[in-house]
Amino acid sequence: MKNKTMILIFLLCLPAMTAVLYACASTKSIAAWHPTEVTAPAICSECHTDARAAMDHTADFAAVRHRFYAAQNSRTCGVCHLDSFCSDCHAQKEELKPSDKYKDAPERMLPHRGDYLNQHKIDGKINPASCFPCHGRRNNERCRVCHI
Amino acid sequence: MKSIRVAKRSTVGGPPSGMAAGMLLLALILLSAPTGAPAVEIAGTSSTYVQSRETAGGSNLMPLYEYLNFSVRDMGTGNVSFHFGGWARYDLRDDTFGTDKNSDLQYAYLSYRKAQSDVVLNLGRVMVFEGVAAERVDGAYARADLKGGFGVSAFGGVPVETDNIEQPGNNMEYGGRASHHVDNVYTIGFSYLKEEKNSQDFREEEGVDLWLRPMNKVELLGKSAYNAITSGWMQHTYNLMLGPFQKLRLNTEVSSIDYEAFFSGATSSVFSFQPGGPIDPAEKVSILGETASYAFTGSLNASVDYKSYNYDIAGSANYYGARVAYAVAKSGGAGLSVHRMDGETNSLSYDAYRVYGYKKMGKADVAVDALAVLYDAPINGVDNAYSVSLAVGYDLSEKLKLGADVEYAKNPDFDREVRSFLKLIYRFDTSYGKGKGV
Repeated sequence: MKNKTMILIFLLCLPAMTAVLYACASTKSIAAWHPTEVTAPAICSECHTDARAAMDHTADFAAVRHRFYAAQNSRTCGVCHLDSFCSDCHAQKEELKPSDKYKDAPERMLPHRGDYLNQHKIDGKINPASCFPCHGRRNNERCRVCHI
Repeated sequence: MKSIRVAKRSTVGGPPSGMAAGMLLLALILLSAPTGAPAVEIAGTSSTYVQSRETAGGSNLMPLYEYLNFSVRDMGTGNVSFHFGGWARYDLRDDTFGTDKNSDLQYAYLSYRKAQSDVVLNLGRVMVFEGVAAERVDGAYARADLKGGFGVSAFGGVPVETDNIEQPGNNMEYGGRASHHVDNVYTIGFSYLKEEKNSQDFREEEGVDLWLRPMNKVELLGKSAYNAITSGWMQHTYNLMLGPFQKLRLNTEVSSIDYEAFFSGATSSVFSFQPGGPIDPAEKVSILGETASYAFTGSLNASVDYKSYNYDIAGSANYYGARVAYAVAKSGGAGLSVHRMDGETNSLSYDAYRVYGYKKMGKADVAVDALAVLYDAPINGVDNAYSVSLAVGYDLSEKLKLGADVEYAKNPDFDREVRSFLKLIYRFDTSYGKGKGV
């Protein structure tokens, strides 16, 4: 009973604490878009020496690192990218492979180039967790053609 | 051409929901509003695609796609904007996946941003990336910075997901994240997500995300996620990045994934592993990877990478290779990569090779790309697959671009496959967000 009372008091105090912290905060918001044009691949460390330097779009950025930055601070992504950039791959429903839409940009790290229909039978067994973020709950209508 | 049997099923989804249709209507009203009205800026991209290809089942497809995305800024005040993205498809020849038309509302939301404290409030079909949440909901998302480096975010609404069966009951999702950061040193976040599908608990996830930079050139980032329904850790995945030291960067990846906890919230049967099947539902995997990249010059980069997969039940696998990339901004580039997937058996092993190049010449551009995969064990009696594509583009004006590509391929499903693709890209009001990448 005592524990429940404490939890209730905590939950009641939480919004008040948040409101006070918010009222006292006056940091400047991140820019809505980058003030200068950025050419791909973006090497942020060429200009930034603080935490933003870590976001250099090196070869492993698209494949490995970008998801961590997006999970913590997707506003930073929005400084240079529109929502449509994310939607090209992270789609609710998509019929065209990103690599089919952008064959004129072979330098981009886009998934499923070439004959992925057969290769996915191997990659999907090796690491199905890599399929799941995009096809677990969304964009899996084509999976159902065979995986009934 | 060889033929394979493909089961035809109707696609799930159909027309957009009432809310999505309302958003589409609002989008049309905004687009038809007089653009001369003061302060309001409308900018976006219309991408029209026509693809021609043959399916393994023998159908000749020629789908016409229209992708439209735009933003309306400064709606009344400089803090309010509207963002829209969606596509529609109509088949000019045989039906694609059993339907002659399809569409999707990718996002459509009204956004309020405050100049202080990074206050954001989005209403509509919103994308949410916050800790354990990588979601799309018809609802609301809000965030704000608090005093002392704290931050909070919350979201809620109807999840936008595919479903195998109709879910007549309550479908809702909500969650949030609390974080603390010290500039240039660390950010740590604690996040929570709960999803109810058909009035039943479907997902309940808790997570910790971390970015730590204890000193210059040393960075740790990663996350852990816990499944409160199965009472198990879904995954731990962390990356240690070192460098650049002169021109060398090192990236070490360590992950562990518990399949029972990780795949429990799927809407596709492909992730419902069964005992005795190709993937055991009780499987656990530990992944250790290393990438070393070296920048010879600002334009030339080479890297080698290695990743080992160690399973509790299945045998181990290794993936390794190297790549070289040359790129000059707004001019052109080329790349070459060689990789080996060394699975437990021959049927899980292959070699992959790729070489590409692209060049911008005034208003024209050209790109070539060639891939080859050599399977250790033949698939459908074929032990390799390759494809070669050629793409050309031409800037008709600053806002209008015409492009075309053709791809020739041979693989276990096709003795010879030719695909073609036409596209017309129109960017309206390119002044908006000139710094935006794509």
